[in-house]
Amino acid sequence: MSTNPGSGLPETGKGGGARAVSRPWWLGLAVIALGGVCLYGSTSLAQSARYSSIGPGLFVTIAGGGLVILGVMLLVQIARGEQFEPQDAEDAAGDMKANPVALGTALVAVLLPIFTIETLGLPITAMLSFTLVARSFSSRKLLLDLVYGAILGTAAWFLFSGLGLQLGAFLPIAGF
Amino acid sequence: MQSFELLLQGFSVALQPTNLMWALLGSILGTAIGVLPGIGPALTIALLLPVTISVAPTSAFIMFAGVLYGAMYGGSTTSILINTPGESGSMMTALEGNKMARTGRGAAALATAAIGSFVAGTIATLLLTFAAPVIAEIAFYFKPADYFALIILAFTSVAVVMGSSRVRGFISLFIGLALGVVGIDKMTGAARLTFGVPGLFDGIELTVVLVSLFAVGEILYVASRYRPGAGDTTALKGQTWMTKEDWKRSWKPWLRGTALGFPMGALPAGGSEIPTMLSYTLERKLSKHSEEFGHGAIEGVAGPEAANNAAAAGMLVPLLTLGLPTSATAAVLLAAFQNYGLQPGPFLFTSNPELIWGLIASLYIGNVMLLVLNLPLVGIWVKLLLIPRPQLYAGILVFAMIGIWGLSGQVIDLIVMVTVGIVGYVMRVYDFPIAPVLIGLILGPMAEVQLRTALAAAQGNPVVLVSTPLSAIMLVIAALFLLAPIVLNRLKANA
Repeated sequence: MSTNPGSGLPETGKGGGARAVSRPWWLGLAVIALGGVCLYGSTSLAQSARYSSIGPGLFVTIAGGGLVILGVMLLVQIARGEQFEPQDAEDAAGDMKANPVALGTALVAVLLPIFTIETLGLPITAMLSFTLVARSFSSRKLLLDLVYGAILGTAAWFLFSGLGLQLGAFLPIAGF
Repeated sequence: MQSFELLLQGFSVALQPTNLMWALLGSILGTAIGVLPGIGPALTIALLLPVTISVAPTSAFIMFAGVLYGAMYGGSTTSILINTPGESGSMMTALEGNKMARTGRGAAALATAAIGSFVAGTIATLLLTFAAPVIAEIAFYFKPADYFALIILAFTSVAVVMGSSRVRGFISLFIGLALGVVGIDKMTGAARLTFGVPGLFDGIELTVVLVSLFAVGEILYVASRYRPGAGDTTALKGQTWMTKEDWKRSWKPWLRGTALGFPMGALPAGGSEIPTMLSYTLERKLSKHSEEFGHGAIEGVAGPEAANNAAAAGMLVPLLTLGLPTSATAAVLLAAFQNYGLQPGPFLFTSNPELIWGLIASLYIGNVMLLVLNLPLVGIWVKLLLIPRPQLYAGILVFAMIGIWGLSGQVIDLIVMVTVGIVGYVMRVYDFPIAPVLIGLILGPMAEVQLRTALAAAQGNPVVLVSTPLSAIMLVIAALFLLAPIVLNRLKANA
């Protein structure tokens, strides 16, 4: 844990002014874009209604407008050199550089269910995602992870289906 | 003493064998997740929601209460023994508790934490028992304008207090508000921000967002910066539990921690970080052994642990009496109430007393159970940490997936999971607070309903929003929350 709870501030271990200031402009632009999507969505909605004087569009406009304004404020902060310290978590060091391969592998694990859950079913999807996440945490026991994932996925499918959860067929592609 | 009679009725509900079993299950589950990294009480309750839908609401909430309190106990165990706080409220405990453990006083640290949690939890539950009905009674007279002002106050305080930057706090809040408007508008039937995707017509569920932010975001983040090899567990063999001196040094911090934790937990920007931090600072100032702080002072464990548990009970006050969540855990509890078609607030006290009082009574029972479960069984809990991290996080993703897929069986929810999960990752990297997203998502639609009702009754005259003294005061406080730091900075700069 590199956080020092006494001060409530993360120990950065970085040498203040010596380090080049990173300017994540894209972050402010992303917030503005998100606000823009909301504002675009609000154009087709009535802003006022006859009885309550506010229509379905007002809150969408407020949310979108707020995000655009806050995005601009964030850009101003970034221009002034605002620093962003990654949060510390258990098992993770905020001041460590991100490992793109591990992040990519974990991302594939999270994306996979979108494509497989309706065809391969939950147990097999769970097995594959389990193995990918374990791998992204540098586990090298591929076969064992596949077995663990399969056991967990199958056991969870029987348990939660039994408890009334609609988890789909066991192996839809095979028709059962 | 009507509260007392109602509480006795609550005990008759909570002491039924099935409900005792749910309380025990919740306490065990809560302690386990408090010990394990990557999972907190909010995520656990969110994942349990689809499973408990076939269980009676009273039993489900009794279990959730066990999870809530259990997580506090579990978090302190790992803070003390291996210096890894399982949840944010245990950060302060790690500071002195782990030092104590390293100098052979781990058993005493665990004991003062557990007994302090028990004392604080019990006193705070007692305060809840008598304060909640009074506040609920007052809330009966709340008009829509008052509720609207209260929600605005919650918004500003949550966005200002949580996290390190106000702008980032508000961005989190507004992301939540934007997610909250997605779906069919209940009053007019207009589809909002659905972009023609039928799966979004029902809106985005809090559970999906919460699980994605907490589980998926955390997995992506930890995977990208994984640091294997957590600290070693300190062995407890042969250590003595609390001595007479330890008791003498602990009891006052317990009470002071409770006094700080309960009211601060009940405030709109509640949570356990601030009261635990304050309690630590206070004990350091008041202690006769201030030189021991930083090297294992028992007061530094006793006070914050008590504050932490008292804050958890305090959080239930605005949730049960006003339907106002003040933390991620409270937000998911509110979602749980809504899942059962119940709306917490003054009417729930009259319409569903056995649920409310059964829940409150179960807090007393849960506290006793946790004391018994924790002290003698501490060795077993610590063994949970032997689960290898790769498989632990892999398992968390499987449960997250089941939790989301099991809600509605729609692929769109899985797409939302990935999108929001990536947002959760970015928020961790750039230090955005996460709870305001959830508060915005669940309170945004409530704010809209109250605003519409208030304006409709006044034929659209916006003056109605400040027409009651309470609404005017709350809006002023909200504005102060927003403006005070700016004004103070200006004054400082001029001085």
